[in-house]
Amino acid sequence: MGILTLLLAVPLFGAGLIAAMPSDSGRLIRGIALGTGVLTLATAWGLLAGFDPDISGLQFSEVHRWNPRMGTSFALGVDGFSLPMVLLATLLGLVAILASTNVRQPTKIYYLLMLVLEAAMLGVFLAQDWALFYVFWELTLIPLFFLIDRWGGANRHGAALNFFLYTMGGSVFLLISLLVLFDAVPGHSFSMGDIASGAARLPEQTQVLIFLGFLLGFGVKMPIFPIHGWLPLAHVEAASPVSILLSGILLKMGSYGLIRATGTLPDGVLALQGALIGLALVSLIYGGVLAWRQSDLKAMIAYSSVSHMGVVLVGIAALNVAGLTGAVMQMVAHGLVAGALFLLIGLMYERTHTREINDYSSLVRVTPRFAVFTTLAFVAAVSLPGTVGFVAELHALIGGFQRWGWLVLVLSLGVMISAAYAIRSVGRLFTGPIRPRMRHVPDLRGEEMVAAAVLTSGIVLLGLYPAPALRLVSASVSRFSLAFGL
Amino acid sequence: MLPSLVWLIPLLPLLAAGWIGLCAVVGWYRGERGERPIARLAFAAVLFPLLLLLLLDVSALLRGVPGQLVFGSWFASGEYRVQLSFTLDALGLSLATLVALICLATLGFSVDYMHREAGFQRFFMLLSLFSGAMLLVVLAGNAVLAFVGWELAGVSSYLLIGYAFERKSAVFNATRAFVTNRVGDAGFILGIALSLLWLGTVEWPQMAIFSREVEPFSKGLIALGFLFAALAKSAQLPFSPWIARALEGPTPSSALFYGSLMVHAGVYLVIRLEPLFSQVNTLLLLMGLLGLLTALYGWLVGLVQTDIKSSLIFSTNAQVGLMFLECGLGWFELAAWHLGLHAVWRSYQFLHAPALLQLVSEAAREVPAWLRRWPRLHAAALQRFWLDAVADWLLVRPTRSLAEDLQDFDQRVVTRMVGLPDQSGSLNSLARWELLQQGRGDADTAVGRGRGMAGRLLEWLARVLYWFEEHLVLQGAGEGLKQAIDALGGYLKRVEELLSQPRYLMLLIMATFTVII
Repeated sequence: MGILTLLLAVPLFGAGLIAAMPSDSGRLIRGIALGTGVLTLATAWGLLAGFDPDISGLQFSEVHRWNPRMGTSFALGVDGFSLPMVLLATLLGLVAILASTNVRQPTKIYYLLMLVLEAAMLGVFLAQDWALFYVFWELTLIPLFFLIDRWGGANRHGAALNFFLYTMGGSVFLLISLLVLFDAVPGHSFSMGDIASGAARLPEQTQVLIFLGFLLGFGVKMPIFPIHGWLPLAHVEAASPVSILLSGILLKMGSYGLIRATGTLPDGVLALQGALIGLALVSLIYGGVLAWRQSDLKAMIAYSSVSHMGVVLVGIAALNVAGLTGAVMQMVAHGLVAGALFLLIGLMYERTHTREINDYSSLVRVTPRFAVFTTLAFVAAVSLPGTVGFVAELHALIGGFQRWGWLVLVLSLGVMISAAYAIRSVGRLFTGPIRPRMRHVPDLRGEEMVAAAVLTSGIVLLGLYPAPALRLVSASVSRFSLAFGL
Repeated sequence: MLPSLVWLIPLLPLLAAGWIGLCAVVGWYRGERGERPIARLAFAAVLFPLLLLLLLDVSALLRGVPGQLVFGSWFASGEYRVQLSFTLDALGLSLATLVALICLATLGFSVDYMHREAGFQRFFMLLSLFSGAMLLVVLAGNAVLAFVGWELAGVSSYLLIGYAFERKSAVFNATRAFVTNRVGDAGFILGIALSLLWLGTVEWPQMAIFSREVEPFSKGLIALGFLFAALAKSAQLPFSPWIARALEGPTPSSALFYGSLMVHAGVYLVIRLEPLFSQVNTLLLLMGLLGLLTALYGWLVGLVQTDIKSSLIFSTNAQVGLMFLECGLGWFELAAWHLGLHAVWRSYQFLHAPALLQLVSEAAREVPAWLRRWPRLHAAALQRFWLDAVADWLLVRPTRSLAEDLQDFDQRVVTRMVGLPDQSGSLNSLARWELLQQGRGDADTAVGRGRGMAGRLLEWLARVLYWFEEHLVLQGAGEGLKQAIDALGGYLKRVEELLSQPRYLMLLIMATFTVII
């Protein structure tokens, strides 16, 4: 059994273990979940020891024939695009479990679903076979649907259904595109490598059509501007640990898939480059402006996710080294920042039972630890230099500028709008006159502080010293952009 | 050997001023116990330069003056170069000796005069600063270095006039005097800039040589700039009124600044630039005319003054006017002698002024009879020829109204456009605080409000996009999708129900048979 299979098996094994436990042993179940999270994290970060960043191709590859008649196989592997996502997913998975101190009963099912979700997400990033990818892609839906529908807020049923419908709708187009590709490629194989080499020979018109299907499927998850309707509802209604996974990793699945699809259909992407940047910039501004308009803190972070994922799309659409590096870095940055924000706001919500920003005031006196971590996370959301967001946006900006020139000034405008709502939020939350209701809010406790500190230190460390992360992605990005002659 | 130490002469008093200022900041030598060390330091910092100057004078008498000394380049930009140079000619050396001597005398006088005054340390700091500045003016080898001293003297004069800054009149007069001086500084800067541009140098000797080669208009303009500066510093018409206001400071500083030293700085500048001025006859004429008018002004106004310091200052004014007249007539050397003698005499008079009241027993002389026969002239002299009022009317009031208009524009247009909180912002937050204490929030805190033009634009955009999101994306697509699926489910259920009824089943089977057959 290869190490990547092991990585997938660990959370599933933990889930199985939890399933075997009696449902009233809450602490034991949480212990198992935490242990599994730590073990998964250790396995994933152990990959770093054997990963050679100078190799641009797949590493730790495993291929097992699955269904020879269909041409599917159980193929896993990591490269410079997927490894950062795997590391991020295991980290946020652990943080989400850490943050689940106050979930409603039954916790047994909750933790079980969380671990299954983690395994499914890892599967998406590890899969090197489009069929396997699609299986994991759909597998994430099931635990998420129940997590939102069972442990969410007041309007959770509507949110869960909405989320399911949107994502299924996107998946249909994804599936059609995959089947068309499978049909068009002579080798009768779903392996990503075979499909890519076959698809590159397709005429441009066909490639454009297939890519549009991919764009719809992945765009829903990412999300891109007109098809983001599920996101505000789902983020607001989901419990905070679920929101962490949702915005931290689930959205990255969309952009990761889009990168893979881009590599598969180069001519189609080149033809659609203008449309992609247009969508990206509209998403960027649209999300930012709506985030500014929200008084609900979680809705604000949700819309800011739309804006930040717009930066990822700018980077992908640029198709050059700087742009793609920016896209991957922004995926990492947004994972950390949105994870930290949802974590902190969620913990705050558990104490005050309000997400309305106008109800908060002057918390810096009552909860100084909250103030430090939240301010840091908000500042990182503005991509201040010294935080990982800056590295990411700078790369995306340079990449976009090389391709489109002054058009990417719109990105700077988006940064300005993000500054408007981030600074506003910090001001409203932590400064101002003391409100009677906000006088007795407990500060962060031990475990919560560990979770917040892990994320914020990641933000700052990668912001001050991004070289290791950049080196991790550089070889794959170079080869990728070489395919486009850029 | 000796001349190479000349840079110490202005530097030592300046260093002393810096050190006293540092002591004041850190808190050393506070109060009465600190008076003696401070006074000694300031005294020594002028005594040593004086001794150095005397030695230089002796060697100059024996072996001739050292002339222009260059210590290196201060700064250079392109072809323009400003050097660290000193002019040790007869004029510079003798005036520097005089300056050091008078400064030393004034310092000695001040030790007792300022005893137990609030701000003793401050006073000595300013006096040291002024001594260094004045020495720099007379020793500097080029216009830029002289301008440094010129400005330092202006600043220390400003600070000394406003010495009693708790008095409103002192602060007002200090500002007025300083601003008038700055008007002259504009002329100085113009002179420096034009010299660099047309003569390519600001060194005094080179300026004299090169000025012969440029066209009359250019050298006239350069000279006019410097003349402007000299007129302002020496309180000649039309700048005269500031000097009467300058008496607000403590007596020793009045003696030093306006009686003897600073008021002569303008004359010194004119004499220093003699080669330049003597080439421009029009300016000589103007200078002589203004000097004559100032002399008349000082004489007439001085006649009707009733306090000692004022009569002294107006007679100083008249004497300095005479010096300008002499320069205008081309008698520069006479003006230089006049300057030196007048400085010594006037500083003695000013320092003596507080004691003079004890010595004289009879009443002051009345206004002469002939002046009383000219009531209009008398009134004009009493009113100091309305110079201040004219300046107010011509310059101060228009500037102020312009400033008010601009402020108005800023508040009404710029502040609103940018969205800065206006001055009532602090009041607003106070009111908000009270409302919150009473448990009532206010509407002002609503999210999604923008201030200023960009804010309004964002607000409008947000409203439009929000409408779009609400109606099309969330309700239209999200809810709509759900409703459509619900409706579809309803129809399908209906079809299913119909199909499960026997008659439709039969119909379906028959239809199938029909198709097959």
